[in-house]
Amino acid sequence: MRLPGAVVVALVAVLVAVSCSPAQRVDLGQSSGNLIAAIAGEPDQLDPHKTSAYFSFEVLENVFDTLVEPDANLEMKPALAESWTVSPDQLTWTFHLRRGVTFHDGSPFTAADVVYSYRRIIDQKLANVDKFSAVTDVSAPDPATVVIRVKHPTPNLLTNIGGFKGMAIVSRKNVDSGQIATHPIGTGPFSFVSQKSGDSIVLKANPNYWGGAPKVPGVTFEFITEPSTALSALQAGEIDWTDSVPTQRIAQLKDDDSLKLAVTPSNDYWYLALNEAKAPWNDPRVRQAIAYGIDRQSIVQATSYGSATANQLAIPQGNPWYTPYDRYRYDTDQAKRLLDEAGAHPDKLDMLVTSEYPETVTAAQVIADNLAPLGITVNIRTVDFATWLDEQNSGHFDMLMMGWLGNIDPDDFYYAQHHTDGTSNAQKFSNPDVDRLLDAGRVETNQQARQQDYAKASTIIADQVSYIYLYNPSVIQAWTTNLTGYDARRDGAVRFRTAALAGGGAQ
Amino acid sequence: VSHPVVRFLARRLAYSFVVLIGVLILVFALVQLVPGDPVRIALGTRYTPEAYGALRAASGLDRPLLQQFFGYVGSAFTGDLGVSFRNGDPVVDILLDRLPATVSLAAFGIVVALLIALPAGIWSALHEGRVSDAVVRVTSQFGVSIPDFWMGILLIALFSTTLGWLPTSGYRPLLEDPGGWLRHLVLPGLTVGLVAAAILTRYVRSAVLEVAAMGYVRTARSKGLSPRVVTFRHTVRNALVPILTITGIQLATILGGVIVVEVVFAWPGLGRLVYNSVAARDYPVIQGAILLIAVLFLVINLIVDLLYAVVDPRIRLS
Repeated sequence: MRLPGAVVVALVAVLVAVSCSPAQRVDLGQSSGNLIAAIAGEPDQLDPHKTSAYFSFEVLENVFDTLVEPDANLEMKPALAESWTVSPDQLTWTFHLRRGVTFHDGSPFTAADVVYSYRRIIDQKLANVDKFSAVTDVSAPDPATVVIRVKHPTPNLLTNIGGFKGMAIVSRKNVDSGQIATHPIGTGPFSFVSQKSGDSIVLKANPNYWGGAPKVPGVTFEFITEPSTALSALQAGEIDWTDSVPTQRIAQLKDDDSLKLAVTPSNDYWYLALNEAKAPWNDPRVRQAIAYGIDRQSIVQATSYGSATANQLAIPQGNPWYTPYDRYRYDTDQAKRLLDEAGAHPDKLDMLVTSEYPETVTAAQVIADNLAPLGITVNIRTVDFATWLDEQNSGHFDMLMMGWLGNIDPDDFYYAQHHTDGTSNAQKFSNPDVDRLLDAGRVETNQQARQQDYAKASTIIADQVSYIYLYNPSVIQAWTTNLTGYDARRDGAVRFRTAALAGGGAQ
Repeated sequence: VSHPVVRFLARRLAYSFVVLIGVLILVFALVQLVPGDPVRIALGTRYTPEAYGALRAASGLDRPLLQQFFGYVGSAFTGDLGVSFRNGDPVVDILLDRLPATVSLAAFGIVVALLIALPAGIWSALHEGRVSDAVVRVTSQFGVSIPDFWMGILLIALFSTTLGWLPTSGYRPLLEDPGGWLRHLVLPGLTVGLVAAAILTRYVRSAVLEVAAMGYVRTARSKGLSPRVVTFRHTVRNALVPILTITGIQLATILGGVIVVEVVFAWPGLGRLVYNSVAARDYPVIQGAILLIAVLFLVINLIVDLLYAVVDPRIRLS
């Protein structure tokens, strides 16, 4: 026993020595003094045109720019384009670019970069190619001007090219060298420095940023998946900001003066969809019965501890495109009447949910309970997201629950999901009036008339139950009181360009 | 003519090679059989048929399966395990990035486990049926049953949030920042180590008990040898062989990834890598990581076999 005993003593001594030295963060080299932000997962890749992961966009929001970009009210404002004009026939958009902007590698930003970026998305049919569905030509008559031609009036062109960093202006050199997915070069407020697989990404302030140099020397994004760990790290002063917040602790954190908590209503929404390719779900009355049969408030409570807002349509109150609608309420008797009327009495419902989004699993348990009095046994099928996408694609489900994130223009909210030819219409909804209204909304340049089109379309969508809309979640973020010049945004974009840290931030 | 150890190693190398080929075939087949499509998930909600076709071709997934397999095996021999579907990074680089964190955690964890399990297990066996034995057995039962997830959160709450002694999460490379490396390692290492200690203690106890019942131990005792000599030279030394086996298995398991602990402590280990790669159906990374884990298992097995011969000279390397 003598040897292990000595080892124990030695180990304990080392542990004590380590523990007693103050638990300070050791920053290395250029990342010293950085704002440290904990995000809930690792970006899959850093090519803005190719990724679809929110974790990637949290980082890329700070590295890249678009021609125009949404402000806090989601109105499109100048970014790399200083101004723009539209021809009287609405078919030619001319953008005047900001001068003197450079990429992080020092090369100048010109109209050719815009043409290259857009052509890349169009020619390689990248993930966001549908944003250019109306675009016939992109050209650069001179280095400071970009002209976009469209085949029909396109009121949402600005949202399409600037709504999120998936439409970023990239550097051709960066793409051709094959580096963009791992070492992106943009024009944004921070430049990419390094990534440690599974651990963190380090960004450095861009002193030449056209919007003014950032006030922090850099940003370090750490990947902390477990919300209670992220919160502990925030409380211990190891990190400055996180959006990995345990929802069950929100109520308690609201009263905590030692940190700031933002619970900001978002444009995101969660919904249920019934498979209309299968009987009896092809009967709108049966779908309405389900819409009456579920208790939306309980679902909100169970999934978000009350931090979300119940909504029977997609677009939340306060948004300029909001339409009031409250046809449905939790009413089992009404649901039974509708089922009787339809002469359909389904006894089983196969509900497809995914562990990737735990709210879908939680909601499914509430829904199973809600629908039991109707004689419907809900079979909750929990799969991983890749399988979920497969099953959704091939129509192997009676009902599914999913959410849409980051939409701004009403076309984003409705077209792909509810148009007969929509690319995300997995529920196989088809309604000629809705198709006509959604097509009209795409080309209507009169704001008032356009608003009317979407109000009518969305009302039919909910009446005919293409989706059963459930709620709008909140953007939930917490940060230290040392962090100023930052606010949580409704679209979930995380912008640190104006953030400042008092007292050097996390230590 | 050649030394038996050399012959032993050569045989084991050939055997390992066959095992690795088998692992490759199995993993390659399995990832194909699992439902879910890497291209579909990479596009996520931005799916369009055009984008799908373009990305599928760009990833080489439209080639015949056999062609994909032989292409993979061919380059694997040259040390090229392909590139990640997700970001185009070489798989070898990704694995090398994760290996130090995983090895650190496994080494620290197994040391903690042995430091607890060896004395506790031996003590417990030598005091069979007494109160101290019961205490050890109940404690180890408790340790086996406690979820590592919960233990991790408790350790963070105590040592980071309340006492402020240790960081909550993250990893620092040993060579860049030795102090930070150790401080970040303590809590996840303890979590892994305590769970492993609970399992190991039970094995150590039963191995010692088994040997203690042997005739030669009674003989040694009746010869008048001191209890200490009987315990360590006759009992414990002979119990080491089964203990080595289980320690090797525990070590390999930790090396293969302790995903829950890695998630709680935001530890950049192999476990989370495999989990995320499976979620994204990133075939090259899944294959590469499984291959690496298989290699680690084989290496540990080899070391354990060599140690058998050291511990017990009667065991021949054959």
